[in-house]
Amino acid sequence: MATERLVNLPALPPKPRNLIPLWASLLLGLCWLVVWHLDISFQTLLWGWQDILEYFSRYTSPDFRDAPKYLWLMLETMAMGLWGTVLAFIIAFLLAPYAARNLSPNPWVYNLTRELLNFMRAMPDILLALILVSSMGLGPLPGALALGIHTAGFLGKFFAESLERVEHGRYEALDAVGAGFSQKILYAGWPSILREMTGYTLYILDRNIRTGAVLGLVGAGGIGIALYDTLRMFNYNQAAALLIIMLGTIIVLDRLSGLIRSKLH
Amino acid sequence: MAIISTSHLSKRYANGTAALNGVSLALEAGQFTVILGPSGSGKSTLLRLFNGLETPTEGSVSINGTVLQRRNLRHVRREVGMVFQHFNLVGRLNVMTNVLIGRLAYRSWLGSMLHLFREEDFRIAHEALARVGLAEKAWVRADQLSGGQQQRVGIARALAQRPRVILADEPVASLDPVTSTEVLGLLKQICREDGIAVVANLHQPDYTHQYADRVIGLNSGRVIFDDAPGQLTDNRLQTIYHRDSQPQETRHAELALAHA
Repeated sequence: MATERLVNLPALPPKPRNLIPLWASLLLGLCWLVVWHLDISFQTLLWGWQDILEYFSRYTSPDFRDAPKYLWLMLETMAMGLWGTVLAFIIAFLLAPYAARNLSPNPWVYNLTRELLNFMRAMPDILLALILVSSMGLGPLPGALALGIHTAGFLGKFFAESLERVEHGRYEALDAVGAGFSQKILYAGWPSILREMTGYTLYILDRNIRTGAVLGLVGAGGIGIALYDTLRMFNYNQAAALLIIMLGTIIVLDRLSGLIRSKLH
Repeated sequence: MAIISTSHLSKRYANGTAALNGVSLALEAGQFTVILGPSGSGKSTLLRLFNGLETPTEGSVSINGTVLQRRNLRHVRREVGMVFQHFNLVGRLNVMTNVLIGRLAYRSWLGSMLHLFREEDFRIAHEALARVGLAEKAWVRADQLSGGQQQRVGIARALAQRPRVILADEPVASLDPVTSTEVLGLLKQICREDGIAVVANLHQPDYTHQYADRVIGLNSGRVIFDDAPGQLTDNRLQTIYHRDSQPQETRHAELALAHA
Protein backbone atom coordinates (compact mmCIF):
# COMPACT_ATOMS: atom_id res chain seq x y z
CA MET A 1 0.00 0.00 0.00
CA ALA A 2 2.62 2.42 1.12
CA THR A 3 4.88 1.85 -1.86
CA GLU A 4 1.97 2.18 -4.24
CA ARG A 5 1.15 5.57 -2.77
CA LEU A 6 4.75 6.61 -3.23
CA VAL A 7 4.70 5.62 -6.88
CA ASN A 8 1.63 7.75 -7.47
CA LEU A 9 3.16 10.87 -5.92
CA PRO A 10 3.43 13.73 -8.39
CA ALA A 11 6.98 14.93 -8.95
CA LEU A 12 8.06 17.93 -6.88
CA PRO A 13 9.34 20.95 -8.73
CA PRO A 14 13.17 21.20 -8.69
CA LYS A 15 14.47 22.07 -5.26
CA PRO A 16 15.61 25.70 -5.00
CA ARG A 17 19.29 26.11 -4.34
CA ASN A 18 20.21 26.95 -0.76
CA LEU A 19 22.74 29.79 -0.80
CA ILE A 20 23.08 30.26 2.96
CA PRO A 21 26.20 28.03 3.40
CA LEU A 22 27.91 29.92 0.59
CA TRP A 23 27.22 33.34 2.10
CA ALA A 24 28.12 32.16 5.59
CA SER A 25 31.50 30.82 4.48
CA LEU A 26 32.21 33.98 2.49
CA LEU A 27 31.45 36.07 5.59
CA LEU A 28 33.70 33.91 7.76
CA GLY A 29 36.46 34.17 5.16
CA LEU A 30 36.11 37.94 5.16
CA CYS A 31 36.38 38.10 8.96
CA TRP A 32 39.52 35.99 8.86
CA LEU A 33 41.04 38.22 6.17
CA VAL A 34 40.37 41.28 8.30
CA VAL A 35 42.03 39.75 11.35
CA TRP A 36 44.97 38.67 9.27
CA HIS A 37 45.36 41.96 7.46
CA LEU A 38 45.06 44.15 10.55
CA ASP A 39 47.40 41.87 12.44
CA ILE A 40 44.96 41.52 15.32
CA SER A 41 46.58 39.32 17.90
CA PHE A 42 44.35 37.43 20.26
CA GLN A 43 47.43 36.26 22.11
CA THR A 44 48.25 39.76 23.27
CA LEU A 45 44.71 40.10 24.52
CA LEU A 46 44.95 36.80 26.32
CA TRP A 47 48.35 37.42 27.92
CA GLY A 48 47.50 41.01 28.75
CA TRP A 49 44.56 40.28 31.03
CA GLN A 50 46.59 41.02 34.14
CA ASP A 51 47.54 44.44 32.83
CA ILE A 52 43.90 45.12 32.03
CA LEU A 53 42.84 44.15 35.53
CA GLU A 54 45.55 46.32 37.02
CA TYR A 55 44.36 49.30 34.97
CA PHE A 56 40.76 48.85 36.06
CA SER A 57 41.82 48.55 39.70
CA ARG A 58 42.88 52.20 39.58
CA TYR A 59 39.19 53.12 39.36
CA THR A 60 38.06 51.21 42.44
CA SER A 61 37.87 54.09 44.92
CA PRO A 62 35.70 56.79 43.36
CA ASP A 63 36.18 60.25 44.76
CA PHE A 64 32.89 62.10 45.20
CA ARG A 65 34.25 65.22 46.91
CA ASP A 66 33.42 67.34 43.86
CA ALA A 67 30.04 65.67 43.31
CA PRO A 68 27.97 68.92 43.18
CA LYS A 69 30.21 70.23 40.41
CA TYR A 70 29.93 66.94 38.52
CA LEU A 71 26.16 66.90 38.85
CA TRP A 72 26.00 70.42 37.53
CA LEU A 73 28.13 69.39 34.53
CA MET A 74 25.89 66.36 34.00
CA LEU A 75 22.93 68.73 33.96
CA GLU A 76 24.69 70.81 31.34
CA THR A 77 25.21 67.70 29.21
CA MET A 78 21.55 66.81 29.65
CA ALA A 79 20.52 70.30 28.60
CA MET A 80 22.74 69.96 25.54
CA GLY A 81 21.10 66.65 24.68
CA LEU A 82 17.63 68.09 25.24
CA TRP A 83 18.20 71.13 23.02
CA GLY A 84 19.80 68.96 20.38
CA THR A 85 16.71 66.76 20.43
CA VAL A 86 14.32 69.71 20.25
CA LEU A 87 16.22 71.03 17.24
CA ALA A 88 16.22 67.58 15.61
CA PHE A 89 12.49 67.22 16.25
CA ILE A 90 11.68 70.57 14.65
CA ILE A 91 13.78 69.85 11.56
CA ALA A 92 12.35 66.33 11.26
CA PHE A 93 8.78 67.54 11.76
CA LEU A 94 9.17 70.02 8.91
CA LEU A 95 11.07 67.74 6.51
CA ALA A 96 9.60 64.27 7.07
CA PRO A 97 6.33 64.78 5.12
CA TYR A 98 8.38 65.66 2.03
CA ALA A 99 10.56 62.59 2.51
CA ALA A 100 7.59 60.19 2.64
CA ARG A 101 7.13 58.66 -0.79
CA ASN A 102 3.33 58.55 -0.61
CA LEU A 103 2.94 62.17 0.51
CA SER A 104 5.72 64.08 -1.17
CA PRO A 105 4.32 66.48 -3.78
CA ASN A 106 6.76 65.33 -6.46
CA PRO A 107 9.72 62.96 -6.93
CA TRP A 108 12.24 65.81 -7.04
CA VAL A 109 11.23 67.12 -3.64
CA TYR A 110 11.15 63.58 -2.31
CA ASN A 111 14.67 62.74 -3.47
CA LEU A 112 16.08 66.09 -2.43
CA THR A 113 14.67 65.85 1.11
CA ARG A 114 15.74 62.24 1.37
CA GLU A 115 19.31 63.12 0.39
CA LEU A 116 19.35 66.07 2.76
CA LEU A 117 18.37 63.76 5.62
CA ASN A 118 20.98 61.21 4.49
CA PHE A 119 23.61 63.94 4.50
CA MET A 120 22.72 65.03 8.03
CA ARG A 121 22.89 61.42 9.18
CA ALA A 122 26.18 60.83 7.45
CA MET A 123 27.93 63.78 9.15
CA PRO A 124 29.31 62.33 12.41
CA ASP A 125 28.20 64.54 15.31
CA ILE A 126 31.66 64.60 16.80
CA LEU A 127 33.00 66.03 13.55
CA LEU A 128 30.18 68.58 13.41
CA ALA A 129 30.92 69.54 17.02
CA LEU A 130 34.60 69.95 16.20
CA ILE A 131 33.79 72.27 13.30
CA LEU A 132 31.18 74.24 15.26
CA VAL A 133 33.38 74.56 18.34
CA SER A 134 36.19 75.98 16.27
CA SER A 135 33.85 78.45 14.58
CA MET A 136 31.61 79.37 17.54
CA GLY A 137 33.89 78.82 20.47
CA LEU A 138 33.80 76.44 23.43
CA GLY A 139 30.55 75.63 25.24
CA PRO A 140 27.39 73.59 25.03
CA LEU A 141 25.74 75.56 22.17
CA PRO A 142 27.87 74.10 19.35
CA GLY A 143 27.37 70.70 20.95
CA ALA A 144 23.58 71.05 20.92
CA LEU A 145 23.68 72.21 17.29
CA ALA A 146 25.89 69.30 16.27
CA LEU A 147 23.60 66.80 17.99
CA GLY A 148 20.53 68.46 16.50
CA ILE A 149 21.78 68.38 12.93
CA HIS A 150 23.05 64.82 13.12
CA THR A 151 19.97 63.31 14.78
CA ALA A 152 17.51 65.33 12.65
CA GLY A 153 18.69 63.02 9.87
CA PHE A 154 17.64 60.00 11.92
CA LEU A 155 14.36 61.39 13.22
CA GLY A 156 13.39 62.68 9.78
CA LYS A 157 13.94 59.26 8.26
CA PHE A 158 12.04 57.49 11.06
CA PHE A 159 9.09 59.89 10.85
CA ALA A 160 8.97 59.67 7.06
CA GLU A 161 8.92 55.88 7.18
CA SER A 162 6.16 55.89 9.79
CA LEU A 163 4.14 58.30 7.67
CA GLU A 164 4.56 55.95 4.73
CA ARG A 165 3.13 53.06 6.72
CA VAL A 166 -0.13 54.84 7.63
CA GLU A 167 -3.13 53.27 5.90
CA HIS A 168 -3.59 54.80 2.48
CA GLY A 169 -7.34 55.20 3.08
CA ARG A 170 -6.83 57.78 5.82
CA TYR A 171 -4.93 60.10 3.53
CA GLU A 172 -7.47 59.43 0.82
CA ALA A 173 -10.34 60.45 3.12
CA LEU A 174 -8.57 63.76 3.71
CA ASP A 175 -8.05 64.20 -0.03
CA ALA A 176 -11.73 63.48 -0.57
CA VAL A 177 -12.90 66.32 1.72
CA GLY A 178 -10.66 68.71 -0.21
CA ALA A 179 -7.98 69.09 2.48
CA GLY A 180 -4.58 70.44 1.47
CA PHE A 181 -1.11 68.97 1.94
CA SER A 182 -0.39 70.31 5.42
CA GLN A 183 -3.94 69.61 6.60
CA LYS A 184 -3.51 66.03 5.45
CA ILE A 185 -0.27 65.67 7.41
CA LEU A 186 -1.62 67.36 10.52
CA TYR A 187 -4.98 65.59 10.71
CA ALA A 188 -4.21 62.14 9.27
CA GLY A 189 -0.42 61.78 9.36
CA TRP A 190 0.86 62.91 12.75
CA PRO A 191 -2.07 61.62 14.86
CA SER A 192 -1.69 58.18 13.30
CA ILE A 193 2.01 57.88 14.17
CA LEU A 194 2.00 59.72 17.51
CA ARG A 195 3.07 56.67 19.46
CA GLU A 196 5.98 55.81 17.21
CA MET A 197 7.03 59.46 17.08
CA THR A 198 7.20 59.66 20.86
CA GLY A 199 9.19 56.44 21.02
CA TYR A 200 11.73 57.57 18.44
CA THR A 201 12.09 61.02 19.99
CA LEU A 202 12.70 59.59 23.47
CA TYR A 203 15.27 57.23 22.03
CA ILE A 204 17.03 60.13 20.30
CA LEU A 205 16.95 62.15 23.55
CA ASP A 206 18.53 59.23 25.38
CA ARG A 207 21.14 58.85 22.67
CA ASN A 208 21.88 62.58 22.55
CA ILE A 209 22.54 62.75 26.28
CA ARG A 210 24.91 59.80 26.04
CA THR A 211 26.69 61.23 23.03
CA GLY A 212 26.62 64.69 24.60
CA ALA A 213 28.94 63.37 27.29
CA VAL A 214 31.44 62.34 24.64
CA LEU A 215 31.18 65.66 22.79
CA GLY A 216 32.74 67.33 25.83
CA LEU A 217 36.01 65.78 24.68
CA VAL A 218 36.15 68.16 21.71
CA GLY A 219 35.28 71.17 23.86
CA ALA A 220 31.51 71.21 23.56
CA GLY A 221 30.85 71.62 27.27
CA GLY A 222 29.25 69.38 29.83
CA ILE A 223 30.59 66.45 31.78
CA GLY A 224 32.78 65.27 28.91
CA ILE A 225 35.33 68.02 29.46
CA ALA A 226 35.66 67.12 33.14
CA LEU A 227 36.17 63.46 32.25
CA TYR A 228 38.80 64.37 29.69
CA ASP A 229 40.65 66.60 32.16
CA THR A 230 40.67 64.08 34.98
CA LEU A 231 41.87 61.30 32.70
CA ARG A 232 44.61 63.50 31.28
CA MET A 233 45.83 64.20 34.80
CA PHE A 234 45.56 60.53 35.80
CA ASN A 235 42.95 61.31 38.49
CA TYR A 236 41.38 57.88 38.22
CA ASN A 237 39.29 58.25 41.37
CA GLN A 238 37.59 61.39 40.11
CA ALA A 239 37.11 59.81 36.69
CA ALA A 240 35.44 56.86 38.40
CA ALA A 241 33.02 59.20 40.18
CA LEU A 242 32.21 60.94 36.90
CA LEU A 243 31.61 57.61 35.18
CA ILE A 244 29.31 56.46 37.96
CA ILE A 245 27.29 59.68 37.74
CA MET A 246 26.99 59.30 33.96
CA LEU A 247 25.97 55.68 34.26
CA GLY A 248 23.38 56.44 36.94
CA THR A 249 21.86 59.25 34.88
CA ILE A 250 21.60 57.05 31.82
CA ILE A 251 19.92 54.25 33.78
CA VAL A 252 17.39 56.68 35.27
CA LEU A 253 16.67 58.21 31.87
CA ASP A 254 16.25 54.82 30.26
CA ARG A 255 13.72 53.78 32.90
CA LEU A 256 11.91 57.08 32.59
CA SER A 257 11.55 56.91 28.82
CA GLY A 258 10.40 53.29 29.09
CA LEU A 259 7.73 54.39 31.55
CA ILE A 260 6.50 57.20 29.29
CA ARG A 261 6.37 54.90 26.27
CA SER A 262 4.35 52.28 28.13
CA LYS A 263 1.83 54.93 29.19
CA LEU A 264 1.12 55.81 25.55
CA HIS A 265 -1.27 53.68 23.59
CA MET B 1 -29.82 69.96 -14.21
CA ALA B 2 -27.70 66.94 -13.55
CA ILE B 3 -25.49 67.27 -10.50
CA ILE B 4 -22.91 64.76 -11.73
CA SER B 5 -22.37 64.30 -15.43
CA THR B 6 -19.71 62.43 -17.30
CA SER B 7 -19.00 62.28 -20.98
CA HIS B 8 -17.17 59.45 -22.72
CA LEU B 9 -15.29 58.67 -19.56
CA SER B 10 -12.49 56.14 -19.98
CA LYS B 11 -9.82 55.01 -17.59
CA ARG B 12 -6.84 52.88 -18.45
CA TYR B 13 -4.32 52.10 -15.71
CA ALA B 14 -0.58 52.25 -16.26
CA ASN B 15 -0.41 48.44 -16.39
CA GLY B 16 -2.73 48.47 -19.40
CA THR B 17 -5.94 47.40 -17.66
CA ALA B 18 -8.92 49.21 -19.10
CA ALA B 19 -11.16 49.90 -16.10
CA LEU B 20 -13.78 52.04 -17.83
CA ASN B 21 -14.74 52.43 -21.41
CA GLY B 22 -16.69 55.41 -22.69
CA VAL B 23 -19.13 55.96 -19.82
CA SER B 24 -21.58 58.84 -20.26
CA LEU B 25 -23.97 59.43 -17.39
CA ALA B 26 -26.06 62.16 -15.82
CA LEU B 27 -27.06 61.77 -12.17
CA GLU B 28 -29.78 63.87 -10.61
CA ALA B 29 -29.94 65.55 -7.21
CA GLY B 30 -32.27 63.88 -4.72
CA GLN B 31 -31.74 60.44 -6.24
CA PHE B 32 -30.18 57.37 -4.67
CA THR B 33 -28.18 55.70 -7.41
CA VAL B 34 -26.69 52.25 -6.92
CA ILE B 35 -23.88 50.97 -9.08
CA LEU B 36 -23.82 47.19 -9.43
CA GLY B 37 -21.26 44.97 -11.08
CA PRO B 38 -18.84 42.12 -10.49
CA SER B 39 -15.45 42.77 -8.89
CA GLY B 40 -13.17 44.44 -11.40
CA SER B 41 -16.04 45.85 -13.46
CA GLY B 42 -14.92 49.42 -12.76
CA LYS B 43 -17.47 50.38 -10.06
CA SER B 44 -14.90 51.73 -7.69
CA THR B 45 -12.97 53.49 -10.46
CA LEU B 46 -16.16 55.22 -11.64
CA LEU B 47 -16.96 56.47 -8.16
CA ARG B 48 -13.40 57.66 -7.60
CA LEU B 49 -13.44 59.52 -10.89
CA PHE B 50 -16.45 61.51 -9.64
CA ASN B 51 -14.33 63.31 -7.04
CA GLY B 52 -11.01 63.19 -8.83
CA LEU B 53 -9.33 60.52 -6.72
CA GLU B 54 -8.63 59.03 -10.16
CA THR B 55 -7.98 61.07 -13.28
CA PRO B 56 -9.67 59.95 -16.49
CA THR B 57 -7.62 58.83 -19.47
CA GLU B 58 -10.31 60.25 -21.74
CA GLY B 59 -13.51 62.18 -21.25
CA SER B 60 -14.48 64.40 -18.34
CA VAL B 61 -16.52 64.65 -15.16
CA SER B 62 -18.46 67.69 -14.07
CA ILE B 63 -19.99 68.31 -10.70
CA ASN B 64 -22.79 70.87 -10.64
CA GLY B 65 -21.61 72.24 -13.97
CA THR B 66 -17.92 72.56 -13.03
CA VAL B 67 -15.57 70.36 -15.02
CA LEU B 68 -13.09 68.65 -12.70
CA GLN B 69 -9.57 69.88 -13.26
CA ARG B 70 -6.37 69.76 -11.32
CA ARG B 71 -6.66 73.35 -10.19
CA ASN B 72 -10.29 73.29 -9.03
CA LEU B 73 -10.09 69.85 -7.45
CA ARG B 74 -10.06 70.96 -3.82
CA HIS B 75 -12.81 73.46 -4.40
CA VAL B 76 -15.08 70.86 -6.01
CA ARG B 77 -14.22 68.16 -3.49
CA ARG B 78 -15.30 70.16 -0.50
CA GLU B 79 -18.91 69.79 -1.63
CA VAL B 80 -18.56 66.11 -2.48
CA GLY B 81 -18.66 63.82 0.55
CA MET B 82 -17.21 60.33 0.42
CA VAL B 83 -17.97 57.31 2.56
CA PHE B 84 -15.53 54.39 2.48
CA GLN B 85 -15.71 50.64 2.97
CA HIS B 86 -13.14 50.80 5.75
CA PHE B 87 -14.47 54.10 7.15
CA ASN B 88 -11.00 55.69 6.99
CA LEU B 89 -11.33 57.56 10.26
CA VAL B 90 -8.27 58.71 12.18
CA GLY B 91 -8.56 56.33 15.11
CA ARG B 92 -6.50 58.32 17.58
CA LEU B 93 -8.54 61.49 17.13
CA ASN B 94 -11.89 61.87 18.84
CA VAL B 95 -15.17 61.62 16.97
CA MET B 96 -15.72 65.39 16.94
CA THR B 97 -12.34 66.06 15.32
CA ASN B 98 -12.99 63.37 12.74
CA VAL B 99 -16.24 65.10 11.81
CA LEU B 100 -14.56 68.53 11.83
CA ILE B 101 -12.16 67.19 9.20
CA GLY B 102 -15.15 67.60 6.87
CA ARG B 103 -14.84 71.37 7.43
CA LEU B 104 -11.11 71.62 6.64
CA ALA B 105 -11.49 72.73 3.04
CA TYR B 106 -13.61 75.67 4.21
CA ARG B 107 -10.98 76.88 6.67
CA SER B 108 -7.85 78.93 6.29
CA TRP B 109 -4.49 77.24 6.37
CA LEU B 110 -3.36 78.94 9.58
CA GLY B 111 -6.59 78.25 11.45
CA SER B 112 -6.51 74.56 10.63
CA MET B 113 -2.81 74.29 11.50
CA LEU B 114 -3.59 75.61 14.98
CA HIS B 115 -6.57 73.24 15.32
CA LEU B 116 -8.84 76.26 15.57
CA PHE B 117 -12.33 75.72 14.24
CA ARG B 118 -15.07 78.32 14.30
CA GLU B 119 -18.14 78.22 16.44
CA GLU B 120 -20.04 77.63 13.21
CA ASP B 121 -17.95 74.57 12.36
CA PHE B 122 -18.62 73.05 15.77
CA ARG B 123 -22.34 73.66 15.30
CA ILE B 124 -22.33 72.02 11.86
CA ALA B 125 -20.33 69.06 13.17
CA HIS B 126 -22.63 68.78 16.19
CA GLU B 127 -25.68 68.75 13.92
CA ALA B 128 -24.11 66.11 11.68
CA LEU B 129 -23.33 63.92 14.70
CA ALA B 130 -26.84 64.34 16.07
CA ARG B 131 -28.23 63.29 12.72
CA VAL B 132 -26.33 60.02 12.70
CA GLY B 133 -27.30 59.54 16.35
CA LEU B 134 -23.82 59.75 17.84
CA ALA B 135 -23.78 63.15 19.55
CA GLU B 136 -23.09 61.53 22.93
CA LYS B 137 -19.90 59.94 21.52
CA ALA B 138 -18.42 63.29 20.45
CA TRP B 139 -15.38 63.13 22.74
CA VAL B 140 -14.69 59.41 22.46
CA ARG B 141 -11.71 58.27 20.44
CA ALA B 142 -12.87 57.04 17.03
CA ASP B 143 -11.11 53.68 17.37
CA GLN B 144 -13.22 52.89 20.44
CA LEU B 145 -16.41 52.67 18.36
CA SER B 146 -17.97 49.63 16.70
CA GLY B 147 -17.86 49.21 12.92
CA GLY B 148 -21.40 50.48 12.40
CA GLN B 149 -20.76 53.50 14.61
CA GLN B 150 -17.53 54.26 12.77
CA GLN B 151 -19.37 54.20 9.47
CA ARG B 152 -21.93 56.63 10.90
CA VAL B 153 -19.08 58.93 11.92
CA GLY B 154 -17.87 58.59 8.33
CA ILE B 155 -21.29 59.74 7.16
CA ALA B 156 -21.26 62.61 9.67
CA ARG B 157 -17.87 63.69 8.31
CA ALA B 158 -19.39 63.79 4.82
CA LEU B 159 -22.43 65.70 6.15
CA ALA B 160 -20.20 68.29 7.81
CA GLN B 161 -19.02 69.20 4.32
CA ARG B 162 -22.59 70.38 3.56
CA PRO B 163 -22.28 68.27 0.42
CA ARG B 164 -24.23 68.32 -2.82
CA VAL B 165 -23.18 64.75 -3.49
CA ILE B 166 -22.29 61.80 -1.29
CA LEU B 167 -20.26 59.02 -2.87
CA ALA B 168 -20.32 55.74 -0.96
CA ASP B 169 -17.72 53.16 -2.02
CA GLU B 170 -19.10 49.82 -0.78
CA PRO B 171 -20.30 51.44 2.44
CA VAL B 172 -21.69 48.25 3.96
CA ALA B 173 -19.20 45.65 2.71
CA SER B 174 -17.54 45.42 6.15
CA LEU B 175 -20.78 45.52 8.19
CA ASP B 176 -23.31 42.93 9.40
CA PRO B 177 -26.81 42.89 7.85
CA VAL B 178 -28.57 44.84 10.63
CA THR B 179 -25.95 47.57 10.69
CA SER B 180 -25.95 47.59 6.89
CA THR B 181 -29.66 48.45 6.70
CA GLU B 182 -29.11 51.16 9.33
CA VAL B 183 -26.33 52.74 7.31
CA LEU B 184 -28.14 52.50 3.98
CA GLY B 185 -31.36 53.80 5.56
CA LEU B 186 -29.44 56.77 6.88
CA LEU B 187 -27.95 57.52 3.47
CA LYS B 188 -31.38 57.22 1.87
CA GLN B 189 -32.89 59.56 4.46
CA ILE B 190 -30.15 62.14 3.87
CA CYS B 191 -30.71 61.84 0.13
CA ARG B 192 -34.43 62.55 0.55
CA GLU B 193 -34.30 65.26 3.21
CA ASP B 194 -31.40 67.25 1.80
CA GLY B 195 -32.23 66.61 -1.83
CA ILE B 196 -28.63 65.62 -2.59
CA ALA B 197 -27.38 62.93 -4.92
CA VAL B 198 -26.17 59.75 -3.24
CA VAL B 199 -24.20 57.29 -5.35
CA ALA B 200 -23.32 53.95 -3.77
CA ASN B 201 -21.41 50.90 -4.97
CA LEU B 202 -23.09 47.80 -3.64
CA HIS B 203 -22.62 44.08 -3.94
CA GLN B 204 -26.11 43.06 -2.81
CA PRO B 205 -29.02 43.14 -5.29
CA ASP B 206 -31.40 42.86 -2.30
CA TYR B 207 -30.34 46.18 -0.85
CA THR B 208 -30.41 47.62 -4.33
CA HIS B 209 -34.09 46.78 -4.72
CA GLN B 210 -34.77 48.18 -1.29
CA TYR B 211 -32.96 51.53 -1.46
CA ALA B 212 -32.14 52.50 -5.03
CA ASP B 213 -34.05 55.00 -7.14
CA ARG B 214 -31.87 54.16 -10.08
CA VAL B 215 -29.53 51.28 -10.85
CA ILE B 216 -26.50 51.36 -13.07
CA GLY B 217 -25.06 47.99 -14.04
CA LEU B 218 -21.42 47.87 -15.03
CA ASN B 219 -19.60 45.03 -16.69
CA SER B 220 -16.05 45.20 -18.06
CA GLY B 221 -16.06 48.97 -17.78
CA ARG B 222 -19.28 49.55 -19.76
CA VAL B 223 -22.75 50.55 -18.64
CA ILE B 224 -24.99 47.63 -19.58
CA PHE B 225 -27.98 48.49 -17.41
CA ASP B 226 -29.40 51.87 -16.43
CA ASP B 227 -32.95 51.82 -15.17
CA ALA B 228 -35.26 51.75 -12.16
CA PRO B 229 -34.64 48.88 -9.70
CA GLY B 230 -38.05 47.43 -10.67
CA GLN B 231 -36.62 46.55 -14.08
CA LEU B 232 -33.76 44.59 -12.53
CA THR B 233 -34.96 41.06 -13.23
CA ASP B 234 -32.91 37.95 -12.50
CA ASN B 235 -32.15 37.74 -16.15
CA ARG B 236 -30.76 41.27 -16.33
CA LEU B 237 -28.85 40.64 -13.12
CA GLN B 238 -27.21 37.65 -14.70
CA THR B 239 -26.04 39.79 -17.62
CA ILE B 240 -24.54 42.30 -15.21
CA TYR B 241 -22.64 39.62 -13.32
CA HIS B 242 -21.71 37.72 -16.48
CA ARG B 243 -18.09 36.86 -17.00
CA ASP B 244 -16.67 35.64 -20.27
CA SER B 245 -13.75 33.71 -18.95
CA GLN B 246 -15.64 31.95 -16.22
CA PRO B 247 -16.91 28.39 -16.09
CA GLN B 248 -20.68 28.01 -15.66
CA GLU B 249 -20.57 26.64 -12.05
CA THR B 250 -18.70 29.58 -10.54
CA ARG B 251 -20.98 32.01 -12.28
CA HIS B 252 -23.92 30.31 -10.64
CA ALA B 253 -22.13 30.36 -7.33
CA GLU B 254 -21.46 34.06 -7.66
CA LEU B 255 -25.07 34.74 -8.55
CA ALA B 256 -26.19 32.77 -5.54
CA LEU B 257 -23.83 34.80 -3.39
CA ALA B 258 -25.08 38.01 -4.90
CA HIS B 259 -28.58 36.99 -3.90
CA ALA B 260 -27.56 36.06 -0.40
